[in-house]
Amino acid sequence: MDIKKLAQSLHPYERRVLPELAQHPYLADLAATTGLQEVEAMRALQWLENKKAVVIETAPQELVELDKNGQEYLKKGLPEKRFLAILLEKEIPLSRLAEKTGLTREEVNICVGLLRQKSAIILLQNKELIIKITDQGRRLLQNGFLEEKFLKKEFPLDIIELKPEEKQALEQLRKRKQIIKIDIKRIKKAILTDVGKKLISLGVRDEEFVDAITPQILRTGEWKNKTFRRYDVTINVPSISSGKKQAYRAFLDWVRKKFVGLGFQEMQGPLVETEFWNMDALYMPQFHSARDIHDAYYIKEPKYGKLDDKLVKKIQAAHENGDNTGSTGWRYQFDPERTHRHVLRTQGTACSARMLASKDLAIPGKYFGITRVFRHDVIDATHLPDFNQTEGIVIQEGLTFRHLVGLLKMFAKEFADTEEIRIVPGYFPFTEPSAELYAKHPQLGWIELGGAGIFRPEVVTPLLGKNISVCAWGLGIDRIGMFKLGLKDIRELFSQDLNFLRNTPVI
Amino acid sequence: MPTITFATEDLYKLIGQKLDDKKLLQLLDCAKAELDAKLTTEATVKYNDTNQPYLWSVEGLARLFRNLLGKKSPQIKIEKPKEEVYYDKRLAKIRPYIACFTATGKKIDDYLLKQLIQLQEKLAENYGRKRQKISIGVYPLKNIAFPISYRAASPDETFTPLDFHQQMSLKQVLEKHPKGKEYGHLIKNQNAYPVFSDARKNILSLIPVINSEQTGKMTIGDDALLFDTTGTDEESVNLVANIFAYALAERGFTIQALNVCYPNKKVATPTMTGKKVKFDEKEIEKLLGIKLKPNEIKTALTRMGYEYQNGNVTIPCYRDDIMHQVDIIEDVAIAYGYDKFTALPQTAYTVGSTFPIQQFIDTQREQWIGLGYQEIMSPVLSNKENMYNKMNLTDTGTIEIENPVSLTFSCIRTWILPILLDFLSKNKHVDYPQKIFEQGVITKRETEAIDEQHIAGVTAHSTATFTEIRQAAEAALKSSNITYTFEELDMECFVPGRAAKIMVNGKQAGFIGEFHPAVLEKFGITTPVAGCEINLTALKP
Repeated sequence: MDIKKLAQSLHPYERRVLPELAQHPYLADLAATTGLQEVEAMRALQWLENKKAVVIETAPQELVELDKNGQEYLKKGLPEKRFLAILLEKEIPLSRLAEKTGLTREEVNICVGLLRQKSAIILLQNKELIIKITDQGRRLLQNGFLEEKFLKKEFPLDIIELKPEEKQALEQLRKRKQIIKIDIKRIKKAILTDVGKKLISLGVRDEEFVDAITPQILRTGEWKNKTFRRYDVTINVPSISSGKKQAYRAFLDWVRKKFVGLGFQEMQGPLVETEFWNMDALYMPQFHSARDIHDAYYIKEPKYGKLDDKLVKKIQAAHENGDNTGSTGWRYQFDPERTHRHVLRTQGTACSARMLASKDLAIPGKYFGITRVFRHDVIDATHLPDFNQTEGIVIQEGLTFRHLVGLLKMFAKEFADTEEIRIVPGYFPFTEPSAELYAKHPQLGWIELGGAGIFRPEVVTPLLGKNISVCAWGLGIDRIGMFKLGLKDIRELFSQDLNFLRNTPVI
Repeated sequence: MPTITFATEDLYKLIGQKLDDKKLLQLLDCAKAELDAKLTTEATVKYNDTNQPYLWSVEGLARLFRNLLGKKSPQIKIEKPKEEVYYDKRLAKIRPYIACFTATGKKIDDYLLKQLIQLQEKLAENYGRKRQKISIGVYPLKNIAFPISYRAASPDETFTPLDFHQQMSLKQVLEKHPKGKEYGHLIKNQNAYPVFSDARKNILSLIPVINSEQTGKMTIGDDALLFDTTGTDEESVNLVANIFAYALAERGFTIQALNVCYPNKKVATPTMTGKKVKFDEKEIEKLLGIKLKPNEIKTALTRMGYEYQNGNVTIPCYRDDIMHQVDIIEDVAIAYGYDKFTALPQTAYTVGSTFPIQQFIDTQREQWIGLGYQEIMSPVLSNKENMYNKMNLTDTGTIEIENPVSLTFSCIRTWILPILLDFLSKNKHVDYPQKIFEQGVITKRETEAIDEQHIAGVTAHSTATFTEIRQAAEAALKSSNITYTFEELDMECFVPGRAAKIMVNGKQAGFIGEFHPAVLEKFGITTPVAGCEINLTALKP
């Protein structure tokens, strides 16, 4: 970037900091001089460093601070000064020094030693030992102590910046108890680069720039003679999270939209279902192993649901002897009480059964459901206690197995993006013929995409009153969804991890 | 799903040819079966159709494959009965049906013994519903003296059960023997127990529990077997006897029938007679959409083991899964080859649509998304601890599961807010503000179970308040042109005086509030949270 553009992109903080840097390279100092907070000054330095206008160094710094006694002496004056001031009035016997000066014995000893060293006092042997001020002592009082001048400086002080006589005073004070302490800190120091120096030489002033565009600026038009500060548009900004669809739910929305587009009408049913709709109407015999206590969730209360007696009788007859369906039936005694028993829906096909018996059924008709179903499984990477099933029916006079093949081909193309399918014999209690659908997914290879078949007469005739071809199918849509969302573990479909949800793209 | 294991070579020997892997898989498809493990010298096959027990042995599978490959299967011949089994009429109320036969002329080796036991177990456990409907006994013939009796015995009669060394009463066997403990409940409540005993009055087995140690122990090298099947369903008893007789005959055993002597009749078993049914060829085209010539139909049916003559189909005597003509037609389709069916397009014009409330649901979801809320989706199953205890509320009607797998998932959620709080409690390390919502079904228990579509949202950050969530709820409702008012609400999960009912048309359609610190504490949440839940079903425009 050329230097002018660079100058225009300086933030007000940067502009405040830049001219001071030559004199005040240390962060704390810089902040104090510019009136910025230390974090603000630091941010400005970092931006300047990004612009290659400064190099930030971290250097150890010896900082001098006043200790406990130092602070006290700053207020009261150094003890030797007070000592000398008293001597100015009269000479004092050594034995009464402490009493007369209000100093401790220890302080007195130090004062005597120090002041003798400076030739400010002399000791006279009279009847007793007497201390007297000298001319040198008087001058000292008049001119002030070097050490005291030092104490009056503004702390903390950088040792490097001390003058020779200050260093001397420091050395003296350091020998004494708790007057001075020295901390070693790691401090930030900014060194101007050539770019930085050039920026300064351009002499950019705050008032030449428009920073934030405010309503006031717009109203007054004061932007008109100014330049807009340029932003560094390449640096990172703090991230925020958008509100968005849960990725799997978005996938299901896509599936729903697809089916509607293909001319399918959505159907639904209750979560708490009777065994009648969940199993019996689908010609699953009451002794079927899938009806075991280990495979379905049974409801505590209400234990039983209401059903249309006439319909129950028809299904009962179909199970027991085939009734008018042309079937032998399962040839066992049907339990009409058990059929009322409530379970959590184990298969979406329950909705198809309800649809067949519904007065709203249209012939020809195409129906689909994305239904929540429940399985009595221990949860792991491939099993959830509740999950979504996608299935439905196509009802029309004269449909054959070849139409079913056509339907499955269409699903494979629409949902797995492939025309390569394999249809093999399958088994479902409610369809005959039954088929399993495999599709060669472009990335996953051969996958089991679903099951399908033509509803048995034992299902259709009792529910509908006549036997019409009904193609029924169920698709393992979660498999496709997991692939599209890049998931390996089925539990992630219902992820409880907010970071994961925020960071998963919606497809 | 039943699974069987056998030597791969054995299958090929029984078929009379080797199969490459592709052909084997294709044939397994026709059996509605698949390999359950990598094919080695051993094959493990899993069956998806639970109604075809005749395939649960390598012999049965080989017969189907031979037929499908167009190979001739050996004619199974049954020798006429010479010996008799007396039937005790008191059994009519205990375990009424029996079929039995002998199989001789082949030495049993280790592999064959395992195969026999495997078939016996699969038939008795899966098809026989853990021996309740069907059980099977196999005995070495050498220690048995005809005639045999199938009779009701006093619980005090004694014999030595398999793997035991002293005589025990039948009653004791049920109490002490492992098999007695496992299957004893099937006969325990009877005054008399079914037993099989021979002319020397030796009890051969306590049915359906355990064989005798002396006469019922199979050993390698045995070449003469007695076989029985008993149960509560006549057809099934005969079917299982037929399946076993076929399997042994395939192995080269001579099968000799036995006469079961009822008080008023003698019945030779195994029956080995297949049912004859009328078959309407025209139905094939109606169901499958393909036109087959009569000889093609005959070939297809033969390949699936049927006999076909003059519109009559004879179902193999080892099958009982043919209930309707459609079952036979499916077999025709399998023999014809599913891969040969060409697709026909849909011809009916139908209008697609979602169910009526879906549009409204999606609009509401979009509003919350627009308000900056992240959508989440959770299982519908939850637990009362989260629903009520942690919310400082009492249960007002919940659908609970009688047989939950885990307590975590032991009821259907009755509202969504606790699920959102639970979610927040799992994400305390994630950047705030956290704004999340979920739309989904909940179920309430009144006199019946009632499903409702709800939407619930929470906002969690250092300055989250009632005002903020109310603004969000109002914005969402207004977008669907819903008129609402707010009324004070006392609900223990919220701070008193900071919760409101959302009233629409004079009815409560939801509520809103700042969560009580006591509730947040129970969820381990240390950030203020305000939330709202709306019943969309009640609001559907």
